[in-house]
Amino acid sequence: MSRINCVLRVFLLLFLIGFLLTCVLVSHAAPATPDAEALLQRSDTFRNGWPAYVVRVKITDFESGRSDEEHLYEVSQKGTDKTYVDFMSPREKGEHLLMLGDDMWVYLPDTSRPVRITPLERLTGDASNGDVARTNYAADYSPVFLRTEKVGAVECYVLNLTAKRKGATYQRILYWVRVSDARPVRAEFYLTSGKHIKSATFDEYAPSSGKELLRKLTLYDEIRRNSHSVLEYSGAAPRSLPDKLFNQGRSDMF
Amino acid sequence: MNRSLLIPVLLILSVWVSAHAQDPPPSEKSRVNARYSLSIIDDATFYGDRSEPVPEVLNQVLIEPSFSVRSHDHLTFSSSMIGLAGTYSDNYTQLRVKETYAGLSAGDFDFTLGRKMVRWGTGYAFTAAGVLDPPRIPTDPTDRLNLNEGRDMIKADWVHGPHAFSLAWSTAALAPAQANLRDTTAFRYNVLVRGFDTALIAGDDRGGDSFGALTFTRVLGQAWEVHGEAVWREQAAVLLGAKYTISGITFIGEFYTPPNIPYYSYMEVSPVAGRQHYAFLTAGKARLRERPGWKEWSLSGSVVANLDDRSYTPVIDSSRWFGNHFSSYVHVEIPRGSKISQFGSAPYSAATSVGVRFQL
Repeated sequence: MSRINCVLRVFLLLFLIGFLLTCVLVSHAAPATPDAEALLQRSDTFRNGWPAYVVRVKITDFESGRSDEEHLYEVSQKGTDKTYVDFMSPREKGEHLLMLGDDMWVYLPDTSRPVRITPLERLTGDASNGDVARTNYAADYSPVFLRTEKVGAVECYVLNLTAKRKGATYQRILYWVRVSDARPVRAEFYLTSGKHIKSATFDEYAPSSGKELLRKLTLYDEIRRNSHSVLEYSGAAPRSLPDKLFNQGRSDMF
Repeated sequence: MNRSLLIPVLLILSVWVSAHAQDPPPSEKSRVNARYSLSIIDDATFYGDRSEPVPEVLNQVLIEPSFSVRSHDHLTFSSSMIGLAGTYSDNYTQLRVKETYAGLSAGDFDFTLGRKMVRWGTGYAFTAAGVLDPPRIPTDPTDRLNLNEGRDMIKADWVHGPHAFSLAWSTAALAPAQANLRDTTAFRYNVLVRGFDTALIAGDDRGGDSFGALTFTRVLGQAWEVHGEAVWREQAAVLLGAKYTISGITFIGEFYTPPNIPYYSYMEVSPVAGRQHYAFLTAGKARLRERPGWKEWSLSGSVVANLDDRSYTPVIDSSRWFGNHFSSYVHVEIPRGSKISQFGSAPYSAATSVGVRFQL
């Protein structure tokens, strides 16, 4: 009886040691999977500093490495589903873009009515309407953590974002965010067909009205490889924006 | 009190009440925004095979300044003029007021007083529901010379959540005589429901007809947009259209059937002709950036047809930008059909317009 007890005690002791060793090894070998949803929400704050704000976006289009066109926009955004874009360049004066939930309109002075458009349609150069008007990825995409990898010297989490609403600009985005603070570093954009159409690098960040915000983003055309567009953000500031600014029935009031 | 006076008086009264009762707290920054733009167009139109003894060339120079001032996000003043000097059978000059209006925004209300362009119709080349809109010209739906003028009106808008209500009273007293307008009272309710941008319009032309209309637009997927109008004014008028975009090329097609009553009928259509049926199709691409060296070019071709008298007009448009301020264009119309048909009765076989535009 006492011999059986002794064997059992030794077995239990070995089992306990083995269990503890396994726990230690597993905790070192495979760190806990990061919360992809929380990462995505945090990364959005580098592009959307306040619940309601105004920012100016200058887009410079490059062809074969040469800058050939500039466009200026004033973007007013409220929440995750209301954006109003005022076109400021001489070529586009009087044009406006409204995003409301999944729907988007462009108001062109030379057409007789507001035109329904999609986020994927080109705004200028390599920038789609959605690249300027739909920047809250957590509202549009479901994230899944894929892996950790380095982009240059920066340790990044790689997220696979899949569109969860029809108003999303792209069907899928591969998104690299910095491990230390979820700051966006790089993105690849894919169509429903699976075609890789664009890539982006999030090049510069700077303080603006007390927040660390994206200052420069570059979009690369993956189909016509000789062009890219640089989006420079400036003057971001919180602003109280009335809901009626974003009403589709108010097109003639702008 | 006369009904035509009662509506503007009520609108002005509601402006006063709302401005006092619903002023929201001032925004964090007091701001005055001023904007201006200037467009100068030199246009020459050449008419081929004129059937009447009139000059074959129309020359026009248009100067179109506009400015707007917005104060504290509440008050707006905007003005847009057209100075036109032309040479045809003789020289002429005109000064037109495209828009000049003052606006007050108070809480959920917006009030407008003056000449303003509104766009209630959803049609691209035609509209029956756009009762206060500038007229659509199917051979020139983009109004390439910006000659459209607004209507003189008092308008109140109330926007609440997804709902937008507009009440407008427009006078014809200041409109050009040839515009053949009447005083109009109109109401519009607009709401976005499950992706359908829908509007109900109702109103009355003084000494004329009452009317009612339903309009909608809807986006389907990433490439399609459909739109339509159904209007009742003495008889039904219906418009159905769609827009399809692929590889940056936009196709728009519309089918339109208005009754042949004075409000809708074109001058070239016989008053005894019955209901008319029209088709419109356009394909165009802005910025031919896929072709090396063609990035600054835009091209479009369209055709508008009267399906009853089988006349039609193909239209070709081409434009090219030079830098950020200058552009040039060519616009060609080639009417075809019998001499008594709507488009075939044009007194020329082709009209070719060329021009340069400066935009600031």
